[in-house]
Amino acid sequence: MKTRIPVAVAFLSGFLMIVAFFGSGEWLSMLTNEALRYMTIVAGFSLLLGVVSITQVSWGVVRKRGEDWPYKIILLIALAAMTGFGVLQGITGGTVFEWLFDKIQKPMMATMFSVLAFYIASAAYRAFRARTVEASILLVTAIIVMIGRVPMGQYIYEDLPSVANWIMMFPNVAVQRGIIIGAALGAASMSLRIILGIERTYMGRG
Amino acid sequence: MANQGNKGFFTRLQNVDRRVLFVLIFASVIVPLFFPLKLPVPVTPETREFFEAVEAIPDSSIVMLPFDFWPSTLAETEPMAVVGLRHLFRKNCYVVGLSNVGMGGPSIADRLLDSIGGEFGKTYGIDYVNLGYKANYQAVMLGMGERIEDIFPTDHRGTPLSEIPLMRRVPNYDSVSFIFVVSDNVAVDYWVGLVNSRFGVPMGAGVTAVMAPKSLSFVQANQLVGLMGGMKGCAEYENLLGYPARATRGMDSQSIIHLLIVLFIVMGNVGYFAAKRKAKVEG
Amino acid sequence: MDTFWTQPFVYYFLPAFFTLAVYSFLFKDNPWFKLAEHIFAGLSAGYYAGLIFHSVIKQQMFVPMVSSGRYDLVIPGVLGFLLFMRFFPKGRWLTRIPLAFVIGTTAGIMFLQQLHGLVLPQIKSTLLPLNDFGNIVIVVGVLTTLVYFYFSKPHTGVLGGVAKVGIWFIMIAFGAHFGYTVMARVSLLIGRMQFIFVDWLRLVS
Repeated sequence: MKTRIPVAVAFLSGFLMIVAFFGSGEWLSMLTNEALRYMTIVAGFSLLLGVVSITQVSWGVVRKRGEDWPYKIILLIALAAMTGFGVLQGITGGTVFEWLFDKIQKPMMATMFSVLAFYIASAAYRAFRARTVEASILLVTAIIVMIGRVPMGQYIYEDLPSVANWIMMFPNVAVQRGIIIGAALGAASMSLRIILGIERTYMGRG
Repeated sequence: MANQGNKGFFTRLQNVDRRVLFVLIFASVIVPLFFPLKLPVPVTPETREFFEAVEAIPDSSIVMLPFDFWPSTLAETEPMAVVGLRHLFRKNCYVVGLSNVGMGGPSIADRLLDSIGGEFGKTYGIDYVNLGYKANYQAVMLGMGERIEDIFPTDHRGTPLSEIPLMRRVPNYDSVSFIFVVSDNVAVDYWVGLVNSRFGVPMGAGVTAVMAPKSLSFVQANQLVGLMGGMKGCAEYENLLGYPARATRGMDSQSIIHLLIVLFIVMGNVGYFAAKRKAKVEG
Repeated sequence: MDTFWTQPFVYYFLPAFFTLAVYSFLFKDNPWFKLAEHIFAGLSAGYYAGLIFHSVIKQQMFVPMVSSGRYDLVIPGVLGFLLFMRFFPKGRWLTRIPLAFVIGTTAGIMFLQQLHGLVLPQIKSTLLPLNDFGNIVIVVGVLTTLVYFYFSKPHTGVLGGVAKVGIWFIMIAFGAHFGYTVMARVSLLIGRMQFIFVDWLRLVS
C-alpha cells in the first residue's frame, strides 16, 4: 500500500495530462484544470517545508549552543518578523513585509550574485590557458564574444560585432539545439518512467 | 641570472595577486560612472526583431508580462521589465503581470507596474493588473490556457478577478495578443514549449546573459519573435525605444571591464607559454 | 517634500549597509557578513511563509471556499499537509501521496512539453536547405553535437571523427557561453555600483 498508492496516483495524474493534450471535451478540460489548480496548491505547501526545516535546524543549534548560535537567533527573529508581518498585515505594497523585502532582502540577494563577477574574472585569469586545440577554440571564441558584444568592440575592429553575431546565431545555436534536443529526449523518457512507475526514487527510502 | 629574472617575470605574470584584480574590477566599473564614454550601442538583429514585433502589436492590445526573475538578477532583468512596460504603455496596451518566481517576484512586479504605470497615467485594474504568484509554473502556464481564474482566483492584492475590469476581458490566452517574457531561469523554456507551441501565443523574451546563448535557438526556430540578451540587449532596446536608461548607462563599464578581463586572460597565457618555452630551452 | 527620512542617504542607508556587509566577504569572512547572511536567510524563509499564506491558503483555498462554496479545495489542502508528515517517522510514507501527485502531473506535462514543444520544433527548424554556409553550419553542428553526446558506442573510427568535430562546435558554444556569463556577472556588479554611487551617495547625477 505504501508504494502502490503513490505509483497509482503518479500514473493517473500523469496520464490525465497526456490524455488532455490529445483529447477534447468539456469534462476533460474541467478535470484537467481542477488537477492543475490542486497541483498549484499542493506545490505551494511544499515551499513551506523549507521554512519548517530551517526553523528546526536553527532552533536545534541555539538549544545546543552550537556554532554561530547567536546568529541563528537573529535568523529566527528575522524569520518570525517577516512571517508575522506578512501573515497579519499583508504582503502588498506599503506593508512592513514589502519594506523588509525591498530594503534588506532584495539588495542582499542582488549583491551576493554580483560578488561572482570578481571570482569569475579571477578564475578566468588563472585557469583559462590555451593548452590544447579545444581549449584554444574556447578561449578565442570567448574573447571574440566578450569584446564583440560590448560597444567598444566596434572600435577595436569594425567587423567584430558581426563576427560575434555570426558565432552566436550559427555555431552556438547549432550546439544549443543539440543540447536542447538531447536533454528534452532525456527529460521525456524520465517523465515516462515516472508515469509508468519504473522510476520511484522520489519516494525516498522506507 | 637574466634568464632567472625573466622566468620570475613570466611566473609573476600568471600570478598577480587577486586583490589587485579585484581593485581593478571595482575601478573599471566605477570610473565610467563618473566619466562616461557614451559609446553608441550597436543593435543586434535579435533585439531589433523583438522591438519591431512589439511595435507591430496593435495599439490597445492585451499583453501578458511575466516577471519571472529573482532579485539576484535585478541589474539585468529589472531594466528589461521597465523598458518593456514603457513600450507597452506607450502603445496604450493593457498589461497583465504575473510572476512564476516566488521569492520577490510578485513584490517586484507590483512595484514596477505601479511606478511605470504611474508614469503613463495608467490605472490599476483597468490598464494593468498584477496576478501575483502561484506555485509550480508548468501547472500555472497550462492552467491559464483554459481559465486564468482557476489558477488565480484573485490578483496579488486579493481582489477576486471577477471584480477587476481588465481581467473580465481576459478569460484565457485567447485574449492575449503577445507575451513579453522577462526571465532569468528555465521558465522561458516552458513559455516557449507549453504556451507558444500549444496555444500559439506569439512571444518575445528578455533573458539574462547567461541564458541568452540557449534562447537564441528559440529565436532561430521562430518560437520567440526576438530576444533581449542581458544588460547589453536591454541597452539596445532602450535605445531603439528612445529611453536610454540604466542598462545603457552600464555599457561603458561593461566595455572597460570586458577589456580588462581579456587583458588578464592574455597576460596569463603569455606568461604560461613564455615560462614553458624558457623551461624547455633550459632543458 | 524632502524630509530627513526621504533624503537619499538615509532612505537608502539600510540597503547600502547590507550591500557593503555582503561585499566585505571579498576581504574575508567576518561578523558583518555573517550577520547579513543570517538575516537574509531568515527573511527569505519568512517571505515564503507570508507569500504562501496569502497566495495559496487565503487566495486559492479560502476565497473560493467562501465566495463560491468550493469546499472540495480542502482536498489539496489535506494533500499539502500530508507533506509535513515527513517530520513524523510513523507517517512518513504518507508524504509520498502528495509528492506522487505533483511529480506525476509534472511528468505528464513535461513529457509533452519536451517532445511537442521543444524536440519537434527544434528538429523542424534544423531541416534547412543546404544552400547557405550558415545553414550548413547549423545542420552539421546539431548532428555532430548529438553524436558527441551519444555514448552507447565507443567514439572510434567514423563516429570518433564526427564526435571530434562535435567537440569543436561545443567548444565554440561554450566559449560564447563563457563570454555571456562574464557579461551577466559583470552586469550585476554594475547594478550594485549604480545603486551605491547613483541612488545612495548621489555622487553621479
